[in-house]
Amino acid sequence: MSSDDHGLLPAELAEAARPAIAEARGKPARDAARILAEAGLTGVCAQEDDGGMALGLSFALAIAEEAGAGQLRFPLLDQILLAQAFAGQDIAGRIAAGEALGVIGWEGARDGLLRLSDDCDCDVVLVPTGQGADLIERAGLTATPTPLLDPDAPQIWLDVGAARKIGSLSGEQMADLRRAGEALYGGFVTGAAANALALSSDYLAARVQFGRPLSSKQAVRHHLARMKLLLEMSRAALARSLARDELGNPRDTRPAFLGAVGNAIWTLEKAIHLHGGMGFTWEVPLHYSLRDIRKIETAFGAGRLARQVAQDFIRAA
Amino acid sequence: MTVQPVFTKSLQAMAPAEYRLHARSWLAANLPAHMRADSTDWRAPALEESVSWEARMYRAGLAGMTWPVEYGGHGLTLREHLIANKEIGAVMMPESAGSVGKELAGPIIMAVGTEDQKQAFLPRILTLEDMWCQGFSEPDAGSDLARLRTRAVPHDGGWRINGQKIWTSGASKADYCLLLTRTGTIEDRHKGMLMFAVPMSTPGIRVVPIKSIDGKVSFAEVFFDDVIVPDEARLGAPDEGWDAAIRVLSIERATNRMYRPWRFETELRALLRGLKSDPELAVLLDDGAVRDRIGQVLGQIDALKGFVEGSVEQLLDGAQIGARGSLSKLYWSECHQAFAGLALDLVGHVTPRSSGLAQRIRDHFTTAYLFARAETIYAGTTEVQLDIIAQRILKLPKDLQK
Repeated sequence: MSSDDHGLLPAELAEAARPAIAEARGKPARDAARILAEAGLTGVCAQEDDGGMALGLSFALAIAEEAGAGQLRFPLLDQILLAQAFAGQDIAGRIAAGEALGVIGWEGARDGLLRLSDDCDCDVVLVPTGQGADLIERAGLTATPTPLLDPDAPQIWLDVGAARKIGSLSGEQMADLRRAGEALYGGFVTGAAANALALSSDYLAARVQFGRPLSSKQAVRHHLARMKLLLEMSRAALARSLARDELGNPRDTRPAFLGAVGNAIWTLEKAIHLHGGMGFTWEVPLHYSLRDIRKIETAFGAGRLARQVAQDFIRAA
Repeated sequence: MTVQPVFTKSLQAMAPAEYRLHARSWLAANLPAHMRADSTDWRAPALEESVSWEARMYRAGLAGMTWPVEYGGHGLTLREHLIANKEIGAVMMPESAGSVGKELAGPIIMAVGTEDQKQAFLPRILTLEDMWCQGFSEPDAGSDLARLRTRAVPHDGGWRINGQKIWTSGASKADYCLLLTRTGTIEDRHKGMLMFAVPMSTPGIRVVPIKSIDGKVSFAEVFFDDVIVPDEARLGAPDEGWDAAIRVLSIERATNRMYRPWRFETELRALLRGLKSDPELAVLLDDGAVRDRIGQVLGQIDALKGFVEGSVEQLLDGAQIGARGSLSKLYWSECHQAFAGLALDLVGHVTPRSSGLAQRIRDHFTTAYLFARAETIYAGTTEVQLDIIAQRILKLPKDLQK
């Protein structure tokens, strides 16, 4: 946490962020960036010299959950992470100010192709490499969309073979950014799950069948209770993953991220089910969150990551 | 009761890091190899060995951390309680033989007991001079204690008790029973409940052991036929004792056995070490599906650790714990049960020619799997916990809103 947070609590900042997130929702990316930057959100962890608020990641985590709950379909977390990681460089100030847009291709390029959840007509792309990461210009690169999972915001395969490099991160810097990214995206999907639980609880308390609200049925109540259980466990794991261990070392954020994604998928799928036929429609907005979470799962290579976590533990045991 | 220190610096004067180091080094130096479930020297400890070990742990400042000094405790905070639990979780030591006293009877006596009762009972719980059993459940009153039938009626300045208890853990070795009775009739439901500390040597008490799924005789039926106890055996007034117990138990559910996620991790490590000790078995760990499961388990362990630590922070900040204990009990029991299933699956590959450590691990996890069946039943079943979360945390309506 920042040493100069002026007594502000993460939850208070998240609440203050809510109107800006709501206003940015559904806007074109450049407009959303400007709105979120004006609210200080893109630069929440950026240095003050870069126009940021220099707050710690626990504040960004609270904002990430708020963004997930508000179904913000704009890569706010990438802006937060890039504006912090490139501290002192021109691009950090431009991203914090909402003047430039960046996205992160978490898995790195394979055969010159980089997968992005949504490139949002961005200016720069961070491409992890074996040794760290390269920041490249987006302009002029060929993009192949795969729109089936998310027609409104298709995943993109970006050909980065001929990209122009304009910056880089060291291995250590990229490791820090990856840890922060796992925690924040874990927060985002957890926010999405919290919203799904809230929508489901409200709907099932109001939906009357057989003369009583559906929330009176034990099977339904227990599904909702399990959603709450998983939500609180995700929150606990994520908050802990950002705190240093007893020896002052950073913790592994991967298990918390993976748990949060798995819990959020279960919650969204169950929420859609509990909404009945309505849940299957485009009109009930739960599907946006499900698409987002599945894209995040893919972007981080969650299946491979889980096996890697296990392998590391097995080796150390 | 004076605590006999086994360390040069008083516990209260230790900084958290010093206390952690003290706990870690004391356990490493003092836990006998035959009490470590991950040691090939392991053997089932006799009751006297468990009692002696736990009494030593207490004298070393690793039990009764938060109990007041005047009642034999160490007068520390929940922060030290958590530190000790993390270190206790890091070694494969036996479960406490005196858990009912330390986790249930003690806190309830602390809440509602008279000063004489506190002085008489509490220190002896920590030294394990007195063992306790829990007399709540009955054949017709499991999750629903409103159906309790065991009755206490005034008798000659004291009380006459008649009834039957079941699933009474440790009844055959207990010195006292924390007994829940009713003074009225079953129609009174939760009203008129009265709690007692009943010496198990009292005439009219009969213990019939029950063999459990893991082959052990860990609980019993207990019959009370015209058992006469003095009024001094009463814990609180009618209703008062039980109402306080409900409050105490909601806190205890969140703070008891905080070592669980750390022990869970230690068990996982022990399982892996056992398999890795034999090349024929080590290859099982290359399987992608096994690694997926282990990755999941690690995420669950991290969540539980975070939840426990968060609960301690909230309690230290003076927050109400509410139904939070239901979340941790439910999550831990289901995750641990699933882990025990994975472990059983893996140790099924151990043969008589496997390494000694692998065979030790097979024996441990086979028993652990069977015992884990109880984890979603005791201390409030899974379904009861889900009901509590739906009712008290989510506040889901059961009827039409006006």
